[in-house]
Amino acid sequence: MSFNHAEAGLVARVSHLTKSYGTGSSQVTALDDVSIGIRQGEFTAIMGPSGSGKSTLMHIMAGLDSPTSGRAWLGDTEITELGDTELTVLRRRRIGFVFQSFNLVPTLDIRGNIHLPFELDGRMPSTTEKAWISDLIQSLGLADRLAHRPHELSGGQQQRVAIARALAARPDLVFADEPTGNLDSRTGREVLSLLAAASRDYGQSIAMVTHDPIAASYADRILFLADGRVVEEQGKSSAEDISRYMLGMEQNA
Amino acid sequence: MNRLKLTGRPADHRSSLIVTALSAAFGVALVQATSYMATMVTADDAGSFASVQLMLSMVSGVFVVIAVYVGAIVTANTFATIIAGRTRTIALMRLIGSTASAQRRAVAREGLLIGLAGSLLGGIVGFLVALVALRIAVLAGAVPDLPYAFADLYLVLPLLCVVVATWASSWVGSRRVLSVTPIQATGTVQEASREETLKRPFRNAFAAIMFYGGLLLLAGGVALGLFSPFGFIVAFLGGIVSFTGFVTGAHVFMPPVLRVVGRLMGNSPSARMATENATRYPERSTRTTIGIVIGVTLITTFAVASEGFLAMLLGSPENQPQDAEEVYEILYIIVGVFSALIGFSAIIAAFGMVNNLSLSVFQRTRELGLLRALGFTSRQVRAMVVAESAQMTVAAVGTGLLLGIFYGWAGAQSLLGQLNEGPVLVWPSVPWPLLAALVVAAAALTFGAAQVPVRRATRISPVLALSID
Repeated sequence: MSFNHAEAGLVARVSHLTKSYGTGSSQVTALDDVSIGIRQGEFTAIMGPSGSGKSTLMHIMAGLDSPTSGRAWLGDTEITELGDTELTVLRRRRIGFVFQSFNLVPTLDIRGNIHLPFELDGRMPSTTEKAWISDLIQSLGLADRLAHRPHELSGGQQQRVAIARALAARPDLVFADEPTGNLDSRTGREVLSLLAAASRDYGQSIAMVTHDPIAASYADRILFLADGRVVEEQGKSSAEDISRYMLGMEQNA
Repeated sequence: MNRLKLTGRPADHRSSLIVTALSAAFGVALVQATSYMATMVTADDAGSFASVQLMLSMVSGVFVVIAVYVGAIVTANTFATIIAGRTRTIALMRLIGSTASAQRRAVAREGLLIGLAGSLLGGIVGFLVALVALRIAVLAGAVPDLPYAFADLYLVLPLLCVVVATWASSWVGSRRVLSVTPIQATGTVQEASREETLKRPFRNAFAAIMFYGGLLLLAGGVALGLFSPFGFIVAFLGGIVSFTGFVTGAHVFMPPVLRVVGRLMGNSPSARMATENATRYPERSTRTTIGIVIGVTLITTFAVASEGFLAMLLGSPENQPQDAEEVYEILYIIVGVFSALIGFSAIIAAFGMVNNLSLSVFQRTRELGLLRALGFTSRQVRAMVVAESAQMTVAAVGTGLLLGIFYGWAGAQSLLGQLNEGPVLVWPSVPWPLLAALVVAAAALTFGAAQVPVRRATRISPVLALSID
């Protein structure tokens, strides 16, 4: 492939991606010929109503699911060509996740959860990585929580732990799946500010899937999906503009 | 009004049914064997039939009780695990308006049904197996053909025991139903189900008194055994009391053992995650392992004690070597039969372990999906589940071996200490063939127990971690 992603400023890209489930008359198309790129160092929101295919798109881009046809790259690695073990190692080293339901490991304390990416990789963090992790812990306000178990923390604190875990190994791209879905609005705004700051201050590339216009308003760039297709792309927008666009989309449907 | 029923998956109860049926089959077969043996022993002297049968019944009764006891522990454990997995459903029922005690009664009803079905099934199988085995033995000329009572009223006893034990253990195992709150049905509650290691001052104190008191009695018996044959009786009592203390307080003893064994598993990510998992629910892991501990302890005790006895016989100058050889043979047969009878409860316990591991993998589906998403390869997941299995097996077999060697030695010492007219010290003699057999069995159990859960665990897709259930 002659296309150079780094030069184009893309950290991830999919081309002519199609995903369908079932066969014959019961066939459902979740993604229909989608081609997008996620820019390096940007906070990108992927928006759309339920069933628009945004989750499926994220699963494929993160190497969790495989497309029916089309190709996906992370950096210059074509992930649609990789086997299960290679994909797993790729996720471990180059992708971070923040989930709606936090998904911390209940048996591990907070320190253990943040170090999990290194633990899974079977190595100790280097000196620079250690410094980076303690920076993260400080700025996320988790310093006095390290010995606690996840269930002893509030939802907002748990999500901050998940963000620390996602950023710890400095992955190429962090995927956030409705990261504020289980939080009250004030805590949700805090979490979104943290994600935006990670992108702005550290140049972390982030792709966030959401249906919440307020969440999307924190992003640098917004991609709209409907019925498995990309229907619109906007730069940084206010929640009002995003809502208006979404409502218009609903009415046209 | 229709009774609210917990919608249990049939697979939940498969293992309880198997365990119940195994205990019942074992009991019925043993009662039949006892009846036959009593008939055989008293073939010449019909008058003493009742007393011989009573004695034999008592011996076989002990084995049946051990098997039922281990089966009950396994069943209680299985029920506790099933309840943990059903928290959401129970919470929903509570939300709609069912009381906690009604929910618990529903679980106990399931236990009663399983007890009835299992004991009926096992009873028939045990009855037929014993009948056929005896026929074969008679046809082969190994034993004489005697008109023994093969359909004794005693047959009902083990079945009754099994039903009651299963019912009771489903009741005990469903204790956690009471702590499920209706709010848990609303879903946002994070998995905080780290089984509250209940503080039980009474039980712990009882266990400590039994354990240490029993050990003291045992030490006294061993000391007395240097001078008097009564030492053995005292030591025997001490052994029973202290082992009961150990089993009662196992939730204090076993978790540290599991941790130590876990540390021996190495430092790979899979091994470390496995250690965390095996010690996550200390009570559950304890109950899973204790059945195997009991089985291995009893087998080892008999083997070590009889080995000590033999060593003594072979060592003393006034015994003729031929005599010793004869005794050796008889003793070996006895030890073999006893081991097989006790070993049966170990098989029941092994079933419990397989089931527990499967259920725990099933209940961790989401967490395993998360690990896969974050970068755990399916090979690492496999290694983790096998390591969990190995950790439990090694901890259980190791503890059982150590206890058995100790009790066996104490038994031999108290019995033989004054045999050659004067205080003698007996060294604990370890029967190496038994040790080797146990290690092989443990290895087989480790990998056997891990097969089903491994298949389940490696099939879990990482996408599961992202879905909101």
